[in-house]
Amino acid sequence: MIQDFITIIQDYWLLLLIGQYPNGPLGGLANTLILSALAIALAFPVSILMALARLSKWWFLRWPMTALVYVTRGVPLLMLILWCYFVIPLWTGADVPSFLIMLVTLVIYQGAFLSEVVRAGIVSLGQGQMDAARALGHGYMGAMRFVILPQALYNMIPSMISTFVSTIKDTTLGYVINVPDLTFAASQVNNQLLTQPFQVFLILAVVYYILCWSLTYVANSVERRIARRRAGPRNARLPAEAAPLKTITEQL
Amino acid sequence: MSTSVSEPQAATAIRIADVCKNYGDYQVLKNINAEVARGEVVVICGPSGSGKSTLIRTVNRLEEINGGGISFEGQDIHAPMRASELNKLRSRIGFVFQSFNLFPHLSVVENVSMSPIRVKGVSPATAHDKALKLLDRVGLADKANSYPGQLSGGQQQRVAIARALAMEPPVMLFDEPTSALDPEMVGEVLSVMKSLAAEGMTMLCVTHEMGFARDVADRIWFIDAGEILETAPPEEFFKNPRHPRAQRFLADLRH
Ligand SMILES: Nc1ncnc2c1ncn2[C@@H]1O[C@H](COP(=O)(O)OP(=O)(O)OP(=O)(O)O)[C@@H](O)[C@H]1O
Ligand SMILES: [Mg+2]
Repeated sequence: MIQDFITIIQDYWLLLLIGQYPNGPLGGLANTLILSALAIALAFPVSILMALARLSKWWFLRWPMTALVYVTRGVPLLMLILWCYFVIPLWTGADVPSFLIMLVTLVIYQGAFLSEVVRAGIVSLGQGQMDAARALGHGYMGAMRFVILPQALYNMIPSMISTFVSTIKDTTLGYVINVPDLTFAASQVNNQLLTQPFQVFLILAVVYYILCWSLTYVANSVERRIARRRAGPRNARLPAEAAPLKTITEQL
Repeated sequence: MSTSVSEPQAATAIRIADVCKNYGDYQVLKNINAEVARGEVVVICGPSGSGKSTLIRTVNRLEEINGGGISFEGQDIHAPMRASELNKLRSRIGFVFQSFNLFPHLSVVENVSMSPIRVKGVSPATAHDKALKLLDRVGLADKANSYPGQLSGGQQQRVAIARALAMEPPVMLFDEPTSALDPEMVGEVLSVMKSLAAEGMTMLCVTHEMGFARDVADRIWFIDAGEILETAPPEEFFKNPRHPRAQRFLADLRH
């Protein structure tokens, strides 16, 4: 049994790592990592813009963004992927690579979820912080940048981590539109071996687990470092600040 | 006396002319007319819900008004203007909140120096030095690198005053600066305010501290149900208030 795993890894490690590259497109774990990293890196700023649009006093920003967030959150990710897969080429008239379609879909989807987290973080700070910043002469954007967002985003770290982890997991759905990622490579391996699906997909699961776990680990230690810098434990306000954190994590 | 709110002139710091404000059908401020002279200390008092906070927040336009105008150093602060212009005006009006509203993610010295750097474009080194001087002045030089959550309420409010002073405003507004404090901390905040008044700062303070009003104020505005019913120097106001509701308010305070 152990021997099976070793043999599979020995025979197919390169395919699992980089797919068909350099004879075909880059795939495998490398592509999964690139897709996840890009999706997270883009979904993060997009979610802040979406949250700001939803909190905007201008209806022409607020209404369409609210509609987009509601629709996106109410539709299974798979539907959104298939929809983008068929509609984006129609609109653009171009042959858009499936990787790009998957990336766009993930950014919109995770951006919508994350924007709710960011919005909750901003709203839960209350009016006092904004008032204080405005009274000192900061403009709306300055107040957001220097006063509101640093606090809101910090409070949101746990929720953001879980969104990022689910982004990594969601990249697997790229399989249905033939994004050459790790899942795709694993199923290629499975198709060649035919007799060892349990072993192949267990290897796949272990790799995803390690990925998600290490992201959580890194993010947690970043959070701890910030908390230490702000002298958390002796901080009398901490219980009050910790409470909303927990609720929002639970909502996810 | 002219009620025009936008004439440049020297003696008046704040002129409130015919200000009306409502929340829906409910009228919070009814035709308020009042002036604060330069260097004057005015205490606003009145029962809870009478509109004191609303009035003081209209002075730096944290609240909009529905009628009238408010001039600050001759400029109508409620006139239509660009956001950047309003921000500039606001930065010249210090505001101290009942609930301190320090920025918890910044250290004490950063709380004080951030706005001069970001709003006025002062160099970080200069702003930092200035912040340390202000903290020294409010008696908190040793707390410069602490975070707000590590300070007592009285200390936080003194930092908030230093933060407002860092913008070098010619006018300071206070909305019940000591109401959220434990009794033993009220004194330290009031003494900072007293020293400010002694240096000639123009101040408009909402407070229930009648001792402070008696000692420091040049004039008292008594406000009830959205109207200023009486403005008088403190001796006069406390000795023989003219309006029956002011009499009742003072009688209630003594109990
Ligand atoms: N955002 C709001 N919407 C509706 N009504 C409001 C709002 N803010 C204040 N009010 C009402 O306006 C009235 C005046 O409120 P304000 O806060 O100015 O009173 P105050 O004199 O400062 O009272 P306190 O001494 O309790 O601070 C109150 O009756 C209050 O309920
Ligand atoms: Mg009030």
